[in-house]
Amino acid sequence: MIDIIFLWIAAGLTLAIFSFLYKDNPFYKFAEHIYVGSAASFWFLYLWFFDVEPKILGPFKNVFKTYGFWKMWLHFTPEQWILFIPIFLSICMLLRFIPPVAWLSRWAIAFTVGMAAGLGVTGSLQGYIVPQIHATILPLTFKDLFSSFNNLIIIVATISTLFYFFFSKEHKGALGIFSRIGITFIMIAFGASFGYTIMARVSLLIGRIHFLLFEWLSSLF
Amino acid sequence: MKKGVPLFITFISGFILIVALFIPHEPFGSLQERFNDWYIIVSGFTLILGIDSLLAYHYRKIKRKEKEAPYSFALLLTFIITLLWGIYSGIKHGNPFAPTSTFLRYFYTYVFVPLQATMFSLLAFFIASAAYRAFRARGLNATLLLISAGIVMLGRVPKGEDFSPYFIAVTFILIAIVCILEALPRISIYERVLFFGLAIISLILIFPIGIFLKTKLPLLSDWIMNVPQLGAKRGLFIGISLGAIAMALRIILGIERTYLK
Amino acid sequence: MKEFFEKISKIDRRIIYLLVFISITIPLLIKKGFEFEALPEVKNAYEFIEKLPTGSRVLISIDYDAASMPELQPLLEVMLVHLFKKDLKVIMMGHWPLGLPLGQIALEKIAKEMKKEYGRDYVFLGYRPGIAAVMLNMGKEIRMVFDVDYKGTPIDSLPLMKNVHNYNDIALLIGFEAGAVGDYWVQFAQARYGQKIILTSTAVVAPDLYPYFQAKQIEGLIGGLRGAADYENLLKRRGFAYSGMTAQTIIHVIILIFIIIGNIGFIALRRIK
Repeated sequence: MIDIIFLWIAAGLTLAIFSFLYKDNPFYKFAEHIYVGSAASFWFLYLWFFDVEPKILGPFKNVFKTYGFWKMWLHFTPEQWILFIPIFLSICMLLRFIPPVAWLSRWAIAFTVGMAAGLGVTGSLQGYIVPQIHATILPLTFKDLFSSFNNLIIIVATISTLFYFFFSKEHKGALGIFSRIGITFIMIAFGASFGYTIMARVSLLIGRIHFLLFEWLSSLF
Repeated sequence: MKKGVPLFITFISGFILIVALFIPHEPFGSLQERFNDWYIIVSGFTLILGIDSLLAYHYRKIKRKEKEAPYSFALLLTFIITLLWGIYSGIKHGNPFAPTSTFLRYFYTYVFVPLQATMFSLLAFFIASAAYRAFRARGLNATLLLISAGIVMLGRVPKGEDFSPYFIAVTFILIAIVCILEALPRISIYERVLFFGLAIISLILIFPIGIFLKTKLPLLSDWIMNVPQLGAKRGLFIGISLGAIAMALRIILGIERTYLK
Repeated sequence: MKEFFEKISKIDRRIIYLLVFISITIPLLIKKGFEFEALPEVKNAYEFIEKLPTGSRVLISIDYDAASMPELQPLLEVMLVHLFKKDLKVIMMGHWPLGLPLGQIALEKIAKEMKKEYGRDYVFLGYRPGIAAVMLNMGKEIRMVFDVDYKGTPIDSLPLMKNVHNYNDIALLIGFEAGAVGDYWVQFAQARYGQKIILTSTAVVAPDLYPYFQAKQIEGLIGGLRGAADYENLLKRRGFAYSGMTAQTIIHVIILIFIIIGNIGFIALRRIK
């Protein structure tokens, strides 16, 4: 029974959002606000159950159980003491909400920004630029004309696209011709991406209509 | 303290990671692991940044009894109910997202999923209407984009190739009509012949191109995806990666400091 | 004449919406499916899994949420059927918290259907923040990131996880991608640790992943509902994705017709002016 009630709630919310297609209306706005509200609390639940509990409280669970809160401090291992560095930074992050010490949150943000930058540099260098350039060094032979032709196009497309984004020199002469070839390939690629995007959006709608027809309406009969 | 320390933290964390890529031995290797572990803990807290201002914004709306207050009330109420329900299920089952929990079974499946999925499915309507409105053959580049999108759209769905000859026929007949309309007002006999000729050629072309697409359209879309599209995307993303690396280095070296504001 | 062209270049958006709605609903109700051949990049993925030795461990990453559920959820289910049928062990985790439960729902559903046991045949680790950092540390020791599963059970007490320490113990990683996490998987798990990867993605992301496939950084690429339908066909277990493909064809044709009508209006009006 509860399942049926919730199925109707799901269908009601689906239709409420679809009603936006006619025009903006209270049903849509109501559904939209429910969505935002629940998503916001999801983040708290995730933070607690997948970060704070296993990563921050977890390592202290055993020592806390054996010695209790007041005595456990005497029995911490060096590893456990080191954990106080990220715990301190996490608290710094939350200090943003307290104006007099809000500046401390910069320490935490600085750490996440520095890490993200370091990860970004190493990831794209080792994982994208080097292997992708390597994969562009393709054989051009007369033995297999079709694949050599394709290889040539891949090489020209890659290089000319790169040249198109070379802004430090005016696109004139040879660079101009090359960047014009580049824009041609970019247009083909954007067209393909656009086609795929239409495909994706339509699939989502198919999913919702499928839900309305075969889960909700079919439950009536 | 307010500027120097953060800059130093950013430099050290970024620097260690880059060095560890080239020298994965001690101490850099284990430092990298430790930093990653800390990052896992700390970055979790960025998840909830911004939620405070969201809640405060809606709380203010309710307090001022604005026109939109009932919606804001719904938002805050959902927030509280979801949180309490999640915590209750979490305590009972170890995790609110355990398969046995009522939170997953009812709230997530029947409230959250339909809302999010439907919200994004609206894009199907918008993109259809936008394609009709904005997808115009304005010049050579726009036409190329149009052709490539059309080939992929028909080539990537089953039986799309069966429809392609009709699209080709309509398109080429339109081209022929434009050529004839272009020819009629011309005075010079050469120009007239030229445009009539073009009209006839485009009408004749319908057959070979139509037959080609009917048999080879899926292969053609395969080729577009795997050859020119791939090359262009590779060039684009190498360019983007280079830009991102430059930006990251500026941040690590403390030249770019906007994140400290 | 001019009014006619003006009319066809300014069709009310609600008429388009209605046509879009109808052209999806009718094919879904008629339930007539087309026959079609699987794309080569999907076949690659299928065959790679076919060749995995029994008992190999496969790591699945849920990096999408309900916003792309219709594209990736059916694929996840059919791939899980394939993995369990081949008696492969599934370890699931994710980087998109809002969608993580979707992975779990599919996993529990298929595991129940195939009579698989939690802890022995499959494990759900859950989520940790930090994407790239998670991937890097998992390459050293999974316990550094996940020492417990989603319920807080220590993973050492789960038989499946006993000898699993890092990517060396995982035969294949399958990422279900609706954003950039797939790139991270390739850049950190494949490039740094040599992990074999199959990426499955929404159609929006798929075109951007082709360079990885050509560079042999990934073993297979399954994009969008079409990819899911291909997989259903290969496994001979047709479901939602296959039945949705007819509607997909019809709606693409309708949208292309609208694009042509729009262009006729546009070109005609430009000539009249």
